[in-house]
Amino acid sequence: MKRIRFSRDTLQFPQKDFDMVKEGVVSLGIITVLVVAVAAIWGAPYRPAVTNQQVALQNPIGIGQEVLGDLDGQGAIASYGPPYNNGWHGKAQSVQSFLGLSPQTWWGTPYHVNTAQADVLIPLQMLATASHNGALTAALHTYKTASYTQQQAWTTAMTNAMGKATVHNGQVVLPSGHYGPVALMVNDEINLAKSGLLSGALDRETNKGVYRWNVQNDLLFLQGQVLPGIANNINMAGGQWGINHDEQAYPGPWWLTPYTFLYQIPPWSTGATGDQTAAYSMGFLFLLLVLVPWIPGLNKLPKLLPVHRVIWRDWYQRLERTGACGQCPLRASCTQEFREQSQAHMGAAETVPSCYLPDESMAYNQNERHRSPGVSTLRTRTD
Amino acid sequence: MNWTQSMRKNVSEKLTWDHLLPSEQPIYVSSLVYSFGVFTLSSLVLCIVSGVVMAAYGPTWYQYSGVGSLFRSVHFWSVQAFFFFMTMHLVGQFFMGSWREGRAFTWVIGAVSFGISVIEAFTGYLSRGDFFSQWNQVQSKDAFNGAGIDGFLNILNNGQVYGLHIAVLPLVLIGLVGWHLVAVRSKGVVPPYQARANAKEGRRS
Repeated sequence: MKRIRFSRDTLQFPQKDFDMVKEGVVSLGIITVLVVAVAAIWGAPYRPAVTNQQVALQNPIGIGQEVLGDLDGQGAIASYGPPYNNGWHGKAQSVQSFLGLSPQTWWGTPYHVNTAQADVLIPLQMLATASHNGALTAALHTYKTASYTQQQAWTTAMTNAMGKATVHNGQVVLPSGHYGPVALMVNDEINLAKSGLLSGALDRETNKGVYRWNVQNDLLFLQGQVLPGIANNINMAGGQWGINHDEQAYPGPWWLTPYTFLYQIPPWSTGATGDQTAAYSMGFLFLLLVLVPWIPGLNKLPKLLPVHRVIWRDWYQRLERTGACGQCPLRASCTQEFREQSQAHMGAAETVPSCYLPDESMAYNQNERHRSPGVSTLRTRTD
Repeated sequence: MNWTQSMRKNVSEKLTWDHLLPSEQPIYVSSLVYSFGVFTLSSLVLCIVSGVVMAAYGPTWYQYSGVGSLFRSVHFWSVQAFFFFMTMHLVGQFFMGSWREGRAFTWVIGAVSFGISVIEAFTGYLSRGDFFSQWNQVQSKDAFNGAGIDGFLNILNNGQVYGLHIAVLPLVLIGLVGWHLVAVRSKGVVPPYQARANAKEGRRS
């Protein structure tokens, strides 16, 4: 289908001198000086990562609770679901499904984590072997060979006791109770963390090799209670616009503001599928941005808003001075310039004067050149 | 059809010196808004240069040495400048309706470049190796998992995230920005909207 539309070669407008290379070099120079100066004066935000060792030394109960959550399935990752596992005994807590759509589950469990094994039993077995710790070996054997009901009874009793535990000389002191081998296991894992070796044991499970690019299990171990607690203290939790700001007065990734904003309001802030719907919402908004040229109304909005009058004020003032628009013989059709023109409306003319061009009688300043007389071209385009 | 001849014809028509390195421009190009594009590009150059130095010496260097920290700071602030000027450029181009008259695809490439930049910056934040990285990695995993991106990306795998940040996404971004620039230059700067004739007539009467 053939459609007729205006196409104005920008070279047909009056031209002025322009040194693109100089503009680029000067711009790069200005930005370099400014950025290097700001970087030298203010530096950049940096808060050292939190290690298991630090947490174990400062908050051994926190480590103990993480260990118990990983062991009895109450931890967030233990029962997460894909891509880490299929939940705890088949019951997944963190599978998001919006309108029956759950892409999270499409790929199975590519980053498999059985928290009881990966975070507790295997690291403790490594510790027992390395330290010839017979008591720990025996405790692990007792736990592994006990029934699931018995295991849950020990861990539940221990979890409840952790809420009443105190710390004396860095050691967790529990009220008396029936914790079975779990008390020794948890205590030894806290000590393993204090030594600084727990992270290595967790990452060894993730990487299966010498090179440790993947820190998944180390990150997941603390993500239940410890990391959110620290983040909350420095206003970095999700409900505190966390990802949007950085340390103290440093600017953060403010360009994520629309995304972070969603987490402050329902239904994104309250729904079980908040993450999934926030991602889709942002995808939809981004699609709108990409498709602005074709969205009716939105693509005409800048013409209605007066901002372009400010941006091109020099040009419009020039037209005012020269009276170019008032003299344009095709003023009426010019108003439709940005709509598709009908053949009949345009007549047989191949070229028409444009009200964008000033009178040729006007004296241009010496840096301007007029590439062609006051015409814009009509082209036939095949879509 | 001879592909070679066709490509040669297209390139020689669209990539003339007048298009690529113009020494003249239309007189309506007269506003600070036009500087945002070149400032964005300059900031990107600084991001790339500081990033290449950081990649060459490695993450430990830029976290724990004095000179490394300076380069990390330059990288940090050049990213801030890049996003500031890119946002101003985008807003300015919106108000100018810069997709008009055959420039829609130029807008699309620019908008996609913005989106890629957001992901590029996020992977950079995760490569800082500090608490911000640690916290945002565990926080963002639910969004990546929930959206179904977990099939490709394990956001907790620093090897993958770092590789995306220093190689894959920069290559994509540089390609898109180059394409955007060629599109801008081959089409020319979008002309102003139609002047309001009624205001003119009112003034002249």
